Order: sequence, then structure tokens, then C-alpha cells
Amino acid sequence: MSEPAATVAHGAIDAATLGELKAFLYREAGLADASDYDGWEALVTDDMHYWVPRGPADYDPAEGLSYINDNRPRLATRLRQLRSGSRWAQVPHSPMRRLLSNIEVLAADSAAGPYTVAANFVVYELAAQSTGALHLWPGRATYRLRREHGQLRMAQKIVELVTARRPLPNLAFLL
Amino acid sequence: MHTDYQALVRDDRVHGSLYVEPGVFRDEMTRIFHRGWSFIAHASEVPEPGCWITRRIGLEPYILTRDMDGRLHALANRCSHRGTALCWEERGRSKHFQCTYHGWSFALDGRLTGVAYRGGLNKDMGELGLDRAGQVEAYRGFIFVNPSGTAGPLAAHLGTGGQALIDRLCDLSPQGSIRVPPTWIGHRIASNWKMWPESDNDGYHFQFVHSSTVKAAPDTYYQETVLGGESGNISHAVDHGQGHFELDLRPSYKAPLAWLGTTQEKTPEYCTAMESAYGAERAGQLMMDGPPHAMIFPNLFLGELNLAIVEPVAPNITVHHHTAVQLEGVDARINRRILRQSEAALGPASFIVPDDAVTAEKMQSGFGGASPENHAAQGKAWIDLSRGMARETMDGPRRVGQVSDETTNRAFWRHYRDVMGATS
Repeated sequence: MSEPAATVAHGAIDAATLGELKAFLYREAGLADASDYDGWEALVTDDMHYWVPRGPADYDPAEGLSYINDNRPRLATRLRQLRSGSRWAQVPHSPMRRLLSNIEVLAADSAAGPYTVAANFVVYELAAQSTGALHLWPGRATYRLRREHGQLRMAQKIVELVTARRPLPNLAFLL
Repeated sequence: MHTDYQALVRDDRVHGSLYVEPGVFRDEMTRIFHRGWSFIAHASEVPEPGCWITRRIGLEPYILTRDMDGRLHALANRCSHRGTALCWEERGRSKHFQCTYHGWSFALDGRLTGVAYRGGLNKDMGELGLDRAGQVEAYRGFIFVNPSGTAGPLAAHLGTGGQALIDRLCDLSPQGSIRVPPTWIGHRIASNWKMWPESDNDGYHFQFVHSSTVKAAPDTYYQETVLGGESGNISHAVDHGQGHFELDLRPSYKAPLAWLGTTQEKTPEYCTAMESAYGAERAGQLMMDGPPHAMIFPNLFLGELNLAIVEPVAPNITVHHHTAVQLEGVDARINRRILRQSEAALGPASFIVPDDAVTAEKMQSGFGGASPENHAAQGKAWIDLSRGMARETMDGPRRVGQVSDETTNRAFWRHYRDVMGATS
């Protein structure tokens, strides 16, 4: 396997940019692991779309049913609920650690972005609120990232779970 | 093991062992899910000849098919030769099913139509069709099955109360019919299945379990319909008999289409279509009343503009499947609005049901090893369901309480005791 940058047909991504994109993904993952809602929300754009489809992301989310299909206002509501202190499905927060790998830049409109980046992931989540069971959440995330005032920001995150067509336990944390 | 259901289900309380005992669970699979009627699917899920879906009734795997003549069959998803599952996908379309083990083929009506190396088979193929549910009937597109075939007509199970609940939902379509999207979302919960008919129709818990929803989205219409404490709330909890029950939110709706989170001014096409279909007066009433929030015993939740199926998996595991209702003959924006409301309310990542799920899991944990011998006999591990008993009133066949009363829980358990207590 060659460097991921080589997968971009137009070769617009240099090593420094690739490093910057990877650093963003790891930072986003760390904030989600920590249930740091303020820190995580600071990474998203005003038109953020957060989508966890029920199966592969091969349908129009407007016309079908999804686990999560948040536009920016609904995402803000989700985060407000999590911060409320009485979102019992996350009181206490699930201890989590997620691993990212196979990071690829799928597309770049220009060298300066926006970029479409994908990564495989596994989240290890402990359902500390009730059963104490360890839940595994494997999947692939596709991010749309663009620069605002020079900083990378997330305009879309699509999370395709390996288990998306099977019944899932509570998914009340940030995936 | 013989369980004394009359002793464990009292008028004012039930025993925690009913949520954990494997023997109780086995009895339920027979007495409720085998001998009685259960909801299996909506007709729009098998719209054409050759369409089929797979689903479970109790623990039994079924393929619901529509044969080439349009008739419905609920077939065991189990080859009549050696028991192999014939279909492992959620849905499909075909003219027959072929077993992957020895190649036996079955028609959509369950007949055995092909056997490999048939010379060795000494039996008549007519004896080797697939097992099937004894009764399959539909009411306004809602398909129910009775595996034993001994439950009597569906109309008697639903009663006028159950039928009226389904009517209220279907009549929100100007064509009088609904459809469901081709997907349901499953929510796996570490609790007994009976907590879901109870939780989905509990008018007492909302401001406690769902306080975070209220804080995060304060415009939710639940504010007006199920919150506000006793003095400010005029919704009802209703027992329709036969194990069907309802949170009747109609008295609390202050304007038409409140249940859709919109107004008539914003939805002129829908209002016009409804008035053309039903006349102004009845359309106005339907749009004021909105959909039911109700349970059809034992497994169908009419969750306003959602449907949910409660699927028991084990004494301590349940899958709560849901999908969104889509109204036939309305403009696409209305149905998209319903999809978005459904995503907000139900499923593992929604704003509401995950908090019910942890609550049910904490109840399951609380019952631990509750047993009739060690606990019930000593007066321990009972749960109290007496709230509002003294202020219920009878309205014809309906028993009516205040929305925060446990009238709905008692409706479930009264019928449960009738069904489970029957000895044959």
C-alpha cells in the first residue's frame, strides 16, 4: 500500500496537508472519546450534517429513516441534551476509546480544500449507565472538511457502521 | 415448572420475577405469542406478488409472503427437511425458496415443489410443505398472525377499541391508508419485553426520564400533552380491554396539527386534501385529534406517527423495532416531516427512547434474581401499579384515568393474567 496521498487522482495533497488532515481526525476522535461536547462542537461548521445511516450510505437521507440525520440545529439540540446533566443514557458518560486507521483522502476540490477524507474506526464503549457491557462499534467514517479562517472544520460526517442493519444498543454518545 | 400467575399478578401490583424467570418467558412464548394474535407487518411491506419479508413471532422465525395470486402466508423460516433457515435476508422478491443444504424448493404458499434425487423420497411431497401460522388476517393493512390457528377471528382480538385506534391513524391519510418505509430500525435493550408496552404508554415518567429532552428542545409538544403535572394536564390513560390501551392526548391538543408540530396555515395542500376526502367537519376533527398513542396487545405500539414492534429475544433481552408512518396521498413534505420526527423520538440514537432504555435496563438489574419462592412469598420484589385506581371511571367499555395514572399498566397486566392464567 502506497502513501494515502497517492490515492488522490489529481495529486493535490502534499505530505504536510495530509498530516494536517490526519491530526484533525485524531483530534475530533479524542474529543468524542472524552465526551467533550464544547470542544467537539467547536470543530463543526454552521452547516454541519451528521449522518449515521441504517446500512450503507447509499440512500437519500431526506427520504429514508436513519439512526442520526442531524442538520446543524438538530445537532445543537443533541449536544444541549447531552450537556443537560439528565440525559440518562449518558449519565455517567460511557468511557470510550476509538482507533482510527486506513485514512484516505478521497477527494480534494483544490490543494486548499475542501477535502473528503475517510477512515476505518472501532469504538470501544462501556455502557456504564446500566449494564456495564462493553460495546464494539466498528465502521467507516467519511468526513467533509474545509478551511474557515485558515482552520480545518468539519462540514459533514457520515458514519457507516458494520452493524448498521442489525439492532443496536443505545447510541447516545458521539460516534 | 408451574407458575401461579393469579398470585403474581394482583390488581394493584405485580411481582418482579415475571420479568426475569425463564419459565415465565417460555410460558409467554406459548400462551401469548403462539396461541394469540401478534402484529407481523404492514401490507405495504409486501406490496406485490412474490414479495416477502422475514420476521419473528415470539422466538419463531417466519417468512411473510405474498403469493402469485396476492394471498398472504406466514411460513416458518425453516426447511421442512432438516430445519435450515430458508431466508436470511430482511426482505426480497422471488417465486420460490430453495434450501442451501440439500436444494429442496418451496413455493410462496409453502408447498414443497422440488426435491433433489427424488427417487429416494418415499413420502408424498404434499406432506412436506413448510410449517405455517394457522391464521393470517389484516385490518386496514395491519397484518396479524396467530400461529396456533385457535385464537378466533382477528376482529374479536382487536375489538372495537383496537380497531378504532388503527382507524384514527389510517384516517389521517386522505386516502385512508398508510405505508411504511422499507426499513425498520432495531433497538436492542437489556430488559424484558413487557417493560416496553408499559414504558411506551406510561404517562407518569415523562418529566423525569425525559427532562433532558424538555431542556434541550423546550418546544416539544409533550410539554402540553403529558407534562404539567396533575393540575395542568387533561390527557387520559385509557384501558380499551383485551390488553389494548392508550394515552389519549386529544384533550390536550390546543390547535389542529399540533401532533405534527405544524399548523394548517403552513400545510394548505394537506388540509385541502383532507377536506375533499372527509368533508370539512370530519377533516377538522381528524386534524385536531391526531394519531393514537397506544398499544395493541401484545407487540404493536401505535406511537403516534411511528409504529413499533416489541420483539422478545430472551427474558432479559428485547428488540424494539420502529419505523415511521407515511401517509398515502399527501405531499412529500408532510412525510419527510414525519421521518424527521421519528428519528428524533425513537431508536438508539434518538432524543427520547434511549433514556427509556437505560431505565428499563436499571429495572431489569433491580429484579436480579427475584423469585416467587424467595421474594414473593416474603412480600419482596413487588412493583406497585396502584396509582389512580381510586379515581378511574368507566366510559362504556373503556376504563379511563388521568394521564399520569397506571391505568395503562393495569390494562396490560389484567389481560396478561387472563391469558397466562388459563391452564389449557
